[in-house]
Amino acid sequence: MELIEVDTRHAYTVIREKIVTLALKPGALINEQELAEEIETGVFPVREALKLLTHDGLVFITPRHGLYVADISLPDLEQLSEMRLALEPVCARLAAERADRDDLAVLEALRKEQLATDPQDSKRLLDIDHKFHQALIRAARNKYLARSLEHLFGLSQRLWFLTLPKLDFLHGAVAEHLEMLEAVRDGDADRAERIMRGHVGAFYDRVRSLLRSED
Amino acid sequence: MTTDNRSHSDALVLGIDTGGTYTDGILMEYHSREVRAAHKSLTTKRDLSIGIESVIQGIRIEDPSAVRMVSVSTTLATNAIAEGKGKRVALLLIGYDPDLVASFRMEARFATQHYYYFSGGHDLYGQEKAPLDLPAVLEKVASIKDQVDAIAVSSYFSPLNPEHEHRCFQAISGICDLPVVLGHQLSTKLGSVERATTAALNASLLAVLRDFIVAVRRAMERKHIVAPLMVVRGDGTLMSDEFAAATPVETIHSGPAASAIGGRFLSGLDKALVVDIGGTTTDFALIERGQVTVSEEGATVSGYKTAVKAADLFSIALGGDSHIRLARDNEVTIGPERVVPLAYLADQHPGVMSHLKGLNQRQASKIDPEALEFWFLLREPTGAASPASAQEKALLAMLSDGPKPLPEILDRLGLISRVQIGTDHLDRHELIGRAGLTPTDLLHTEGVYTAWNTEAAATALRVFSRCKRWDPEAFSLHVRSMITEAIVHAIVCFLSEKTLPPPPEMEKGGDIGQWFFLNSLRNVHPHLRTRFELSLPIIGIGAPARIFLENVADILYTKLILPDHHPVANAVGAVAGTIMVAEEIIVYPRVAADGLEAIGYYVQAKEERQLFDELEDALANARKLSRERALGAALRSGADNPQVAMEEKTDGLDTYRIRARAMGNPRLAPVDRSL
Repeated sequence: MELIEVDTRHAYTVIREKIVTLALKPGALINEQELAEEIETGVFPVREALKLLTHDGLVFITPRHGLYVADISLPDLEQLSEMRLALEPVCARLAAERADRDDLAVLEALRKEQLATDPQDSKRLLDIDHKFHQALIRAARNKYLARSLEHLFGLSQRLWFLTLPKLDFLHGAVAEHLEMLEAVRDGDADRAERIMRGHVGAFYDRVRSLLRSED
Repeated sequence: MTTDNRSHSDALVLGIDTGGTYTDGILMEYHSREVRAAHKSLTTKRDLSIGIESVIQGIRIEDPSAVRMVSVSTTLATNAIAEGKGKRVALLLIGYDPDLVASFRMEARFATQHYYYFSGGHDLYGQEKAPLDLPAVLEKVASIKDQVDAIAVSSYFSPLNPEHEHRCFQAISGICDLPVVLGHQLSTKLGSVERATTAALNASLLAVLRDFIVAVRRAMERKHIVAPLMVVRGDGTLMSDEFAAATPVETIHSGPAASAIGGRFLSGLDKALVVDIGGTTTDFALIERGQVTVSEEGATVSGYKTAVKAADLFSIALGGDSHIRLARDNEVTIGPERVVPLAYLADQHPGVMSHLKGLNQRQASKIDPEALEFWFLLREPTGAASPASAQEKALLAMLSDGPKPLPEILDRLGLISRVQIGTDHLDRHELIGRAGLTPTDLLHTEGVYTAWNTEAAATALRVFSRCKRWDPEAFSLHVRSMITEAIVHAIVCFLSEKTLPPPPEMEKGGDIGQWFFLNSLRNVHPHLRTRFELSLPIIGIGAPARIFLENVADILYTKLILPDHHPVANAVGAVAGTIMVAEEIIVYPRVAADGLEAIGYYVQAKEERQLFDELEDALANARKLSRERALGAALRSGADNPQVAMEEKTDGLDTYRIRARAMGNPRLAPVDRSL
C-alpha cells in the first residue's frame, strides 16, 4: 500500500469496508460515479481502488457488463474452510514456537477485551476474534503464510458478517482463546495446533449450518 | 513524444495558496516563469477545499491536460491547531519523568489533554533506561481507544534508540485500528517535550490533511487535470502529497513561507526582506543567499513549541481587511479583527449603499460610528449549522433580507450592547459575516485598488471622518501613517529580536530606545536626527503593498521592490519551491559497562541500527546510507535529478549527526499521458 496515492488508499479502505460489512451486497453492480460521490472522492481513485479490490478477490470485472461485488456461495465457503483448516493450525504451531513477550502481551490484551465486551455485541467480538488471529499470524513470523492467511481472512469476513445476526457463540470463544493463549505461552505447539483446528472447524460448521438453514 | 509543439514547450503549473482571507491561484509556465492566469476566491475556513475548488474552477486554463504539476500551500494545519479542530489524540510518554514535567509545568505543551506515562525509555547512550511496560500501554490503549481518533507515542531518547516506540507501534496496531504516530519518525532532535508535542500535533492532523488532499485531487479531476500534487512545507520546500499526508505537522507556516519564496522567485533577489500584506495579517520573512531563512528552533504554533523546521517568520494582526474603528477613548484603532471591506459588501448587496448615504446625511453628532459595521448572512443554515437559540434564529431571520448595521440589529433585538449577542455558533459555522471600514476601502477611495464599489468606500470614509470631525483626506493620511508605523515597528522588532511597546504607548514617554524609535519615525526632535537604515531592499507582496509599503521603505532608507504579479506571489511561491527530503542519521558510541570507554559506534537510521567497531567506518556508512535514502525519497517524491548536500554536526559527547538533504525541482508530469 506504500506506493499508492493518498486518495486511492482512502477510497480502497472505505470501499473494502463497505464490501466486507455487506453495505455493498455480494453480486451487486458497482457504479463508479455514484461510489465516488458517496465517499466524496474523484472517480479516478475509486477506479484504482476497485482494481486493487479485484486483486483481493472482492470485486469482479466482466468484460461487457462492468464491475460487480464478488458473489459468495456455499462452494466458496467449503473451499475457504479447506484452506483455513490446513493453514491456521500450522500458524498456531509456529506462533507457539516463536511468540515473544510482546506477542503474548497483545494476545493477553485482546483476551481481556473480549472478556469485557458485551456478549450481544457480535460485531465487536468478531473484530476482536479477527485481531486475535492476526496476532497469532504475526507471532508465527512467516510472511508467506501471513500473506495467504490475510487473503483468506478478507474473503471469509463477509461470511461472518452474513451470519453475524445469528452468531451467538462468539462469546463462547473466550474459553478457546484462553486455552490458545496458554498453549502459546507454554510453547506447547501440539496443543496450539489442536486447539486451532477445533476452533476453525467448529466455526465453519456453524456458519455452514446457518447458511443452509437460510436457503 | 507529442507532435504538438505548443503543449510540448509549455510546462504549465498551478500554484494555490489558502490564506486567512483569500485563496489565490496562479497558472504559470514553468520555464519562462510567465504567469498566464490568476484567480482569487474567498477562503472558506469551515472547509478549505471549497475555496480551493472554486479557484481551480475559476482560473482560466485553456488546456487542462497541459497542467503538469499542482502545488498548494495551506494554513490548514495552523488553523486546525489554533481553533482546536484537530482530531482527539492520546499521547503515550515512555520513560518520561512525570514529576520533572510537572515541576516545569510542561503538561500544557503536549497539545492534548490525554497524555499518559509509562516506564521504559533509553538513556544518552541509547541503552535501555527501564524495561518497557507494554501490558500497561496496551491496557491504557484498550480503555481509551473509543475516545480518541489517533495515538502518538514518544519515548525518551527515541532518536538514539526507537526500539520502545517501535514495539509500542507493533503491539498497539495489533489491538486497535487507530493510526499510530511515532516521535522518532518526525524529529531526530533530542528535546523530549518538543518531540512529544510534534507527535501529538501530527497525529491530530492526519485525517484533516488526508481529507484536504482527497478534496484537492477531486477538484483537479473535475477540471480534468492529471498531474502530481505537491504541498508546501513550513520552510518553503515542497513535498509530495503522500509525504504530506503522513507528516501534516510539517505544513505549519507553509503559507507565509510560500509568500517569501514567491517574492524571491519573482524578484530574482538573493537578499531581501519580504513583507506580505494579506487580508488578516502582515507577515515578514528574510531571504539570504536565495533561501528563506529557517529558524533553528522548531516552529511554534498557537503557543505549542514543536520540533518542526520552519521559516523564521514574524507576523502581526494587521492586514488589508483589518477593521478600522473608534475605541472608547475616541482613538482610531486598526484590527486585529478582520472584516469584509464595505466596498465589497456594497458591491454584493446594493442596499448597503443607501444605508451609507442615509448615514452621511445625518448631523455628525447623531452618527454612531458603529453604524458602519454591518452584519450579513454568509450562507443559508443547513444541517448541523442550524441555529439553536431563539436569538440566533431572530438574528438570521433579520439578516435574510440583506445586511444590517449593528445599531439597527441591537435595536430590533431589544439589546443595548453587542456583547449581549451570542454568535459563537454562527461564527463557527460561517453563517454570518461582519463588514466595516478597512484599509482596503481606503485603497478604493485613493484609486489604488478599485475592484469593488468605490462610492461606498468614499461615503463610509466621509461618515467616519465626520465622527472624528476630520476631513476625509486627513483621516485617510492618519490611517496610512498608523499602518506605516506598525509595519516599521514590526520590522525593527523582527530583525533586532527585541520587543518594543506599540507606538501610542511610547508617546507617553519611555526610555532612550523608545525615544530613538519614535524620533526616527517622526523627526520629532528639533536638533537630534536619528534614523534606522535597512541594508536590504523590501519585497512587497499582496495588493495593498504598493501603497502601504512605500512610506515604510522611505523611513528605513531602502528601496521597495514590487515584482510583477506581487499580489499573487504567495501562489507563485507554492510552485517555485524545490522538492526537498532530508535524512538524518545519528552516530553515537556504544559505551562499555563501566560507562567510560567507547567500545564501538552505533549508526541509527530511523528504525535501523548497525554497530561498527571504528568511528570512521560508522561515519562512512552513515554518509552513504543517508545519501542513498535522501536521494531515493526525493526521487519518489517527484524530484527531477535531485542533488544531495551533506551536512555534519557533532552534539558533543562523541555523537555525530549526518544529514543528507536531497533537493531538486519538481519533475513535471509527461505531456503525452493517456487517461
